[in-house]
Amino acid sequence: MTANKTEVDPITLQVIGGALHTIAKEMGHVLYRMSYSSIIRESEDLGAGLFDRNFNTLCESDSTPMHIGSIPAYLRGIDKTLHDPWQPGDIVIHNHPYYGASHSPDIAAVAPVFYEGELVGFSANTAHHVDIGAATPGLIIDVPDVFAEGMLFKGVKLYEGGVLNRALWQFIETNTRVPGQVMGDIEAQVASAELGVKRFVELLDQHGKDVVFAATEQLMDYSERMLRRQIAAIPDGEYRAEGFLDDDGRNRKEPLPVKVAVRIEGDSAEVDLTGSSPQVPTAFNVPFEGSTKVACFFAFRALLLDSATITEHVPQNEGSFRPIKVTAPKGTIFNPEYPAAAEARFNQIQRVVDCIAKALSPVIPDKVTAGSSADVSAIAYSGVRPDGNYWVFIEVNEGACGGRPYSDGPDTIEELMRNTRNNPIEDLGMHLPLLCDRYELRDDVMPGAGRHRGGIGVIKVQRYLTPGFLTHEADRHDDPPWGFRGGTTGKGGRLIKYNVADPERIEDLPAKIHGLRNQTGDCIGFLGPCGGGYGDPLERPAEQVREDVLDDFCTREHAYQAYGVVLTEALEIDLAATEARRAEISKQVA
Amino acid sequence: MARIGVDVGGTFTDLILETDGAANGGGRVFVHKVPSTPEDQSRGVIQGVLEICAEAGVGLGDIEQIVHGTTIATNTVIEYSGAEVGMLTTRGFRDILHMARHKRPHNFSVQFDVPWQSRPLVKRRNRIPITERILPPDGRIEVALDEDEVRAAAELLKSREVGSVIVCFLFAFLNDAHELRAKEIVKEVVPDAYVGCSSEVVDVIREYERFSTAAMNAFIGPRTSYYLNNLATALQENGVDAQIRVMQSNGGVTTLAGAAERPVTILMSGPAGGVVGGQWAGDMSGVRNLITVDIGGTSADISVVPDGKVRIMNPRDTQVGGYPILAPMIDLSTIGAGGGSIAYVDDGGAFRVGPRSAGAEPGPACYGRGGTEPTVTDAQVVLGRLDPEQFLGGGLEIDPARSRKALEDNLCGRLDMSLEEAALGVIRVINSNMSLAIRANSVAKGVDPRDYALVAFGGAGPLHGTALARSVFAREVIVPPAPGINAATGLLATDMSYEFTRSVLCVLTQASQDEIDTLNEQTDALVRRAQEALAADGVAPEHQRLVKIAECRYQGQGFELRGTMPDGPLTLDNRAELLASFHERHRQDYGHAFEDQEVEVITLRVVASAGIGALSWPEAPQGGGRNPEDALLYRRATTFDDGRTYETPRFDRSKLKAGQHIDGPAIVIQTDSTTLVPPGYEAMVAPSGNLHVREVAES
Repeated sequence: MTANKTEVDPITLQVIGGALHTIAKEMGHVLYRMSYSSIIRESEDLGAGLFDRNFNTLCESDSTPMHIGSIPAYLRGIDKTLHDPWQPGDIVIHNHPYYGASHSPDIAAVAPVFYEGELVGFSANTAHHVDIGAATPGLIIDVPDVFAEGMLFKGVKLYEGGVLNRALWQFIETNTRVPGQVMGDIEAQVASAELGVKRFVELLDQHGKDVVFAATEQLMDYSERMLRRQIAAIPDGEYRAEGFLDDDGRNRKEPLPVKVAVRIEGDSAEVDLTGSSPQVPTAFNVPFEGSTKVACFFAFRALLLDSATITEHVPQNEGSFRPIKVTAPKGTIFNPEYPAAAEARFNQIQRVVDCIAKALSPVIPDKVTAGSSADVSAIAYSGVRPDGNYWVFIEVNEGACGGRPYSDGPDTIEELMRNTRNNPIEDLGMHLPLLCDRYELRDDVMPGAGRHRGGIGVIKVQRYLTPGFLTHEADRHDDPPWGFRGGTTGKGGRLIKYNVADPERIEDLPAKIHGLRNQTGDCIGFLGPCGGGYGDPLERPAEQVREDVLDDFCTREHAYQAYGVVLTEALEIDLAATEARRAEISKQVA
Repeated sequence: MARIGVDVGGTFTDLILETDGAANGGGRVFVHKVPSTPEDQSRGVIQGVLEICAEAGVGLGDIEQIVHGTTIATNTVIEYSGAEVGMLTTRGFRDILHMARHKRPHNFSVQFDVPWQSRPLVKRRNRIPITERILPPDGRIEVALDEDEVRAAAELLKSREVGSVIVCFLFAFLNDAHELRAKEIVKEVVPDAYVGCSSEVVDVIREYERFSTAAMNAFIGPRTSYYLNNLATALQENGVDAQIRVMQSNGGVTTLAGAAERPVTILMSGPAGGVVGGQWAGDMSGVRNLITVDIGGTSADISVVPDGKVRIMNPRDTQVGGYPILAPMIDLSTIGAGGGSIAYVDDGGAFRVGPRSAGAEPGPACYGRGGTEPTVTDAQVVLGRLDPEQFLGGGLEIDPARSRKALEDNLCGRLDMSLEEAALGVIRVINSNMSLAIRANSVAKGVDPRDYALVAFGGAGPLHGTALARSVFAREVIVPPAPGINAATGLLATDMSYEFTRSVLCVLTQASQDEIDTLNEQTDALVRRAQEALAADGVAPEHQRLVKIAECRYQGQGFELRGTMPDGPLTLDNRAELLASFHERHRQDYGHAFEDQEVEVITLRVVASAGIGALSWPEAPQGGGRNPEDALLYRRATTFDDGRTYETPRFDRSKLKAGQHIDGPAIVIQTDSTTLVPPGYEAMVAPSGNLHVREVAES
């Protein structure tokens, strides 16, 4: 903690805290409302906020969690690489994964904030760009190194002293497959960063520089204190969990271990990923600063300062990162060495969060959930239009949550570090040569059973109306979500392909597919993992099981097998038979 | 003859009655308040109507019109007490309502609730897939409607006694033939059921939002129409044979039948009345740029009214209880800040005020009904700004000792502050929360508050008005004549208003003559529907006002903004006007416009309105001079935001005359509200009866 001379009274502190929160929200709003690509405007795959000159986060927009906490690493990366000193009116763009970027498609736009002639901080945002000219449109998996990821920017001034670098602009425009979207999105980022500068200066004018920065120190201390209190309530010790990822996208069926040790000591925590897979030869690595660490920060905040159960808004700032130390040896999947590619990193960090929850589950059973899908299915659909221009659409398919201490795991929803929106089927249908043929809960498997059942995964089928390409970044076909406290294991995901002319001939694909060519009428179906159950299924009230059967969340057979609930043809509960069946299952388990 | 506005709130039902002839100066206006009757709102409404008529000496048979603001539809959502709804939907897409936009309501949470899954508008068992397929982009049929399946589904729902059925098919906005045919079949099977199509409720692109709106309409429909019809009958039984109008979320009124048929349009009935009331007050003083601030017990509603016109919220933001509703709503934001907001120190030592509220029960500590935590009202009492004997016209007893104790016990010790410092702190934090919300609705949307007056109303509004105006740099504060019942006032001050929409996608900048023709045809069809609706309500053509809107976006964007269409038909030439209006709107909302980019029309909208007679407030009697002795009640020590305590005069608002000035520090008291005039400010009584409070220019 810092020893600042000025002590800001609690009232002024609340006033400044509120103002910072509002500024970040406004920056995020401008960015996603103005943007063009669906990944930013619908999915809100972005982050925006203000930072002090030591790169501490002062406030961040409440957008996709993955971005929150990643910008300081960008700022440190820019600090190492900036070609000329900062001056007012600069906008720097940066996306180098070995200099702090979360991954290369997430380009940051950073504006310095000068006050009374002095650099006092930064206004910055990050946004996921739909195509930065990588080896394949939109997404990549099986590429040799970081250079195959596309354009890399390392502390580059797009605007210098308020003047646009037209050469750079034209260069970017030339090197993306979809300039119409990417350039518009960069413009939105510039507008958002400029807005942040303006608001920051207004805040400094209003309260004075000393008061504002003293207040930000205190706000960081406050957030830190709130998290440390929660960590301190966990008994000291080392807690471990592990799982495995399907493969790296090239070497099929060679699983990659994820090993997590959480060490609690007093009011601090360390996440140690030692023992996890060595780095892989594809893009399935995780940038350490901009992604691995961010995942660990997220896990503690979401589990211990859960915004659904804690009424107070805890400001989103550097303070909540301070109690967490993250360790991952160099040369491993969570801390790869240059020049390994590291673009496809989301599934791995979702699993880190999931493993942190699993490790801590014995000591905070009321705060965790059973295993969630803890994955992402990101699909890049693309093709070339008759006029020769590319179309590229990145779809993020939803996951499902594990059963929870007091409620079922939500179905078909964005879990953990992602929180995007889907794209309206009708909007896509009007604009792309792609047609959605099915979008509902999957019915080929049942989720993990439990006192509170796991969430059900999605099935989404998209049909190509013209030939095109596909790259799919996903995982978790082979290691299904874990059950907790007697709840059963969830289900793994699937990826299928068939042609609309012959829908019975289904081909199962691995989770990671790179640059697949598709013909007219080819259909790609994603079936999302289902969450694990929480608590003993026999404790789920029979009436609730019956309700699930009435709603087709559960089959009659599954009610019998997993829950011991016997339903008549008319779907009434047979009480005697249910009692007998439940006794029988209990005996088997014992 | 007379008109009545009646607005049902959580605690009170507010009424206003205007007798005929007010327009030419001969009429009179009465206001009244009765306790709300939440178990059946109509009881409070009837009681209020009977009482205000008695007070005004108006016969029940002489009431011509009653305009109603009601929370019935909203409460049905909040209480989740709507009808059992059945849904027929495209096979393969049974769970659109269950998945929503697949975004969870909290980012940093694993224990979050998902309202559309835990409290579905249509249970999954009642969502029945039907084989049919309509294709984009032209609406051609790929798979014909399986009518047998429709019939079987209808039979099944009938056997389950589901009385409300909706038909929601993908791409129905391109071609509604399947929806309409399915509806017909369902009607045959279950003739007495309510049956609606998604394209009838709202004919726009985006399946989830359209289906959800249709589902909500069916969910709240039966209870809302039962209530409204019941109210009409009860009024008739009491001898009231008035025309009944209902306030909609967009600030215009509709008929009883209109509200019963499309209850999704009245979900924000109450707050809309407040904004219109604020607009009316500004209009009386000839002020066009307004920020309305309605501060009640638990929340504050804030809205910006530029150039005398209420703003309509972007359809991407209109939701109630977590369910998206594609019905036009006044652009307002509600924050958890009001007189009942609780001040406390949290576990981390931060000073918080709200959103937790003591509400009406137990209410602030000073009510003596068991509340022990300090509220904003308690802080005002401690500072001497609310006089015990004047509270609600003396109708509610309050005990300042309890306020002091609540602050001392909960705040002073933990914050190491004096009683006065703590009370001032509570006010400062709550004012800061509200002014941030005002900024988010003004500055953040391209509005400069320096050109705006702040209209402060609701029971607590006039206490906070000047502080808020100061912190957002608004020019002045306007306190309407009856700030405590302002939403009811708005009911008598508004117009009839209907909106009709249809999605027609077209890249305007590249449009061919054919495409322009299509836009015109579709717009004309909407215009005809609008004219028919107004004509059915007895509005003569010369009194009908129509505004034609094209909701546009830059091609590739995902969010539309409204552009105004030319008066006459759209042509290749005059489309530039529409484009210019869209660019301007984009610039205002986001600070930038891209005039070289392609612009795509997504949805056409026609707004039809007609005046129903504006409320005329009787002018205040002429007077003059400063600080009139005859209106002076007494003086008492009062602490202002500058931290200083002054012997402060209290003036009785009912005795103030037009043209009189009051120098701050002063307090103006009326039955249901208290206006603070801080030192350095003066209040001026306008002929309309509005009170204008301004900072005195330093000389």
